[in-house]
Amino acid sequence: MNTLMTRGIQALMVAVLIGAATFAMMRALPGDAAYRIAAGRYGYDNVDTAAADAVRAELGLDGPALPAFLNWLGDLLRLDFGHSLVSGQPVIAEIGHQLGASLSLAAVAVLLSLIMGPPLGILAGLRPGGMLDRVLLVVSTGLKAVPQFLMALILILILSVQLRLLPAAGYGAARHFILPALALALGLAAVNARIARDAMARIGAMPFYSFAQWKGLSPRQTLLRHGLRNVSVPLLTYLGLQFVTLVEGVVVVEAIFGWPGIGHALVHAIFSRDVPMVQGTALCLGLGFVLINAVIDLVTGRIDPRRAA
Amino acid sequence: MTLLKADDITVAQGGTPILHPVSLHLEPGEPLVILGETGSGKSLLAQAIMGTLPRDLAARGRVVLGDHLLDAARPGGFRPLWGRQIAVLPQEPWLSLDPLMRAKGQVTEAHHLVRGMTVPDAGAQATADLDRLGLAEAGMRYPHELSGGMAQRVAIAAARAGGARIVIADEPTKGLDAARRDEVADLLLAELARGGGLLVITHDLALARRIGGRMIVLREGRVVETGPTATVMGAPTQAYTRDLIAADPENWELRNRRPAGAPVLTATGLAAGRGGVRLFSDLSFDLTAGRILGVTGPSGCGKSTLGDVVLGLAPPSAGRMSRSAGLAPTAFQKLYQDPVAAFPRHRTLGRTLADVAPRHGEPQDRIDRLMPRLGLAPVLLTRKPDAVSGGELQRLALLRLLLVRPKFIFADEPTSRLDPITQKQVIDLLCETATTEGCAIMLVSHDPELVARTADHVLSLAPAKASEPDLSGPRVKLAGHLG
Repeated sequence: MNTLMTRGIQALMVAVLIGAATFAMMRALPGDAAYRIAAGRYGYDNVDTAAADAVRAELGLDGPALPAFLNWLGDLLRLDFGHSLVSGQPVIAEIGHQLGASLSLAAVAVLLSLIMGPPLGILAGLRPGGMLDRVLLVVSTGLKAVPQFLMALILILILSVQLRLLPAAGYGAARHFILPALALALGLAAVNARIARDAMARIGAMPFYSFAQWKGLSPRQTLLRHGLRNVSVPLLTYLGLQFVTLVEGVVVVEAIFGWPGIGHALVHAIFSRDVPMVQGTALCLGLGFVLINAVIDLVTGRIDPRRAA
Repeated sequence: MTLLKADDITVAQGGTPILHPVSLHLEPGEPLVILGETGSGKSLLAQAIMGTLPRDLAARGRVVLGDHLLDAARPGGFRPLWGRQIAVLPQEPWLSLDPLMRAKGQVTEAHHLVRGMTVPDAGAQATADLDRLGLAEAGMRYPHELSGGMAQRVAIAAARAGGARIVIADEPTKGLDAARRDEVADLLLAELARGGGLLVITHDLALARRIGGRMIVLREGRVVETGPTATVMGAPTQAYTRDLIAADPENWELRNRRPAGAPVLTATGLAAGRGGVRLFSDLSFDLTAGRILGVTGPSGCGKSTLGDVVLGLAPPSAGRMSRSAGLAPTAFQKLYQDPVAAFPRHRTLGRTLADVAPRHGEPQDRIDRLMPRLGLAPVLLTRKPDAVSGGELQRLALLRLLLVRPKFIFADEPTSRLDPITQKQVIDLLCETATTEGCAIMLVSHDPELVARTADHVLSLAPAKASEPDLSGPRVKLAGHLG
């Protein structure tokens, strides 16, 4: 319960910080924010001084900063994110739409990385210093060193342009998933594999791992019953931290592949100074990070009783 | 019927022999003890018989186990016997249980996977095993919720669940105090009484005595003496065995009590804690020149903290300490547990010592005069710390203290890293120093026998959780009284 409490406080702080940052952006926007907001709400054709004044009065835009800020935060806590300055739609509806696309892409990428990384890492960790271990070190370091935008471009060049196997962009069919998910997954798998390898090498050298074999268990039984469970704890913990890499990657990769997700939306919102959308998407990603880590805390607490204590 | 017979087992590292041919046999119901100091090759012998030697070591010899004939040079052949014929008891039971699996599961899996029982049968058998060892309550606990003794019993149940009749225990009492040590010995003997064989590898004479049976004494990879344990320990025929047994604190002569000399420090009602836990309170004692105050107690009870307080390195949370007038702060010195860590690694010992003498206004030839008195050869001064033995280094550390002309030495487990024979030499020197230099000494040790035979009075600290420390020991004589 204690960990959940901590995560709750974290979530609140994330919300307040993002709220404060976007409020500051809103105030710093050139031009009259009231006109922009009014335009966002009622359409550019319907904006007049009266509408802008109404907005100004409602949001306290020209009043002192503090009451306006508290008002802003109050909206935030009531989950009222306002309207997009560009489309005029409620931010929450826009995000709800994009979040699904992003989540499915992220889920496929994480799944793919888990299929590639940890099994190789565990095999390498069973024989530290062996052939596989050394090859994996080089490959994973190389993959991790390639920035995601470059990885995406390389994949497009090879698989779409040269081999013409997959579409370079698009959304809707299963085959559209492959390239963006792969571009994300390779970088994640490179690090997953290292974490799994180090954990396996460490656990394989522990007295309890030898003792399990002295009891008469075969190497395979020892790995399945005592190895995997112990490796999963650091791996899961790291997965939570990898969410940051994932968010970073989603923003870049969605932009490149034209994926209609939240990262794509964030980039566009920033370009068009659509502050409420920036706030909404940033908040969504920030709270997502806290949520994922809370879930991982609970899961690892289940697996490892020493953590739950 | 002989359970296990090993002929001419040798171990070599890259062609250099480190264990010379040893043969042994294990009979049902009769324990076999392999006794030796660090580096005697006793653990290598056990590992060669189990097929668990590190890769860079090569064993040779023949092992007959029931109707299996094995070649020690091919360790892979031993694997199918683990759990089924040989049960290996780990050195540190806590670290040998999977931290993420409940105690009972670790026993059940061996019944199920090794002996081939169905899961419900294996579970029932595991419950019965744990009941028999007095662990009925502990089956559902995780290893971190078990005490060290409980973990040891779970490990024994798990190791034997595969049906092995031979138990090999390598240093099963490493780091345990006397009471726990006897508990482990009794547990091993109880397992032996259920049938099968027992091989115990140890440097601990008290454990060897309690296990009994037959004994092989090893030194530097060679057999020194063999015979029934009682005979070898009662009437050793070899000089080395005699030294080894004489070096056991239990066999030390009682040191003559010294009269109290000039007072050095008086402590009244001392209390201190660490990390918010009160370690001791209301301690009162006198330290006087030429006398030794022994301090004993389980690990974590505050022995080192008491030393810090007396040395003035940490403030007491209550109480008063008064040092005799006219003593320099440097008259209060500490002898560290790990001599290797107490010397700079990359300088010769001679240079390190030569730096100390002038700083305290002592002539350089004082080092040369002290060397023979501490039994140290002058050539040692040209070496670096890693090129001399632990015992020599601890004596050099004592020499360095003496250069400062201390009036008080806090010796914090000064021999816990040394072998028994070296331990005796260092402790004897320390006692001599108290007399010849007129020092007050506070000697910390986890070994009550050592303290009882050395100290003029004894302060025994209770575990940190108990509310009151108590004073005991054969020769308690303290200035104050503890409530």
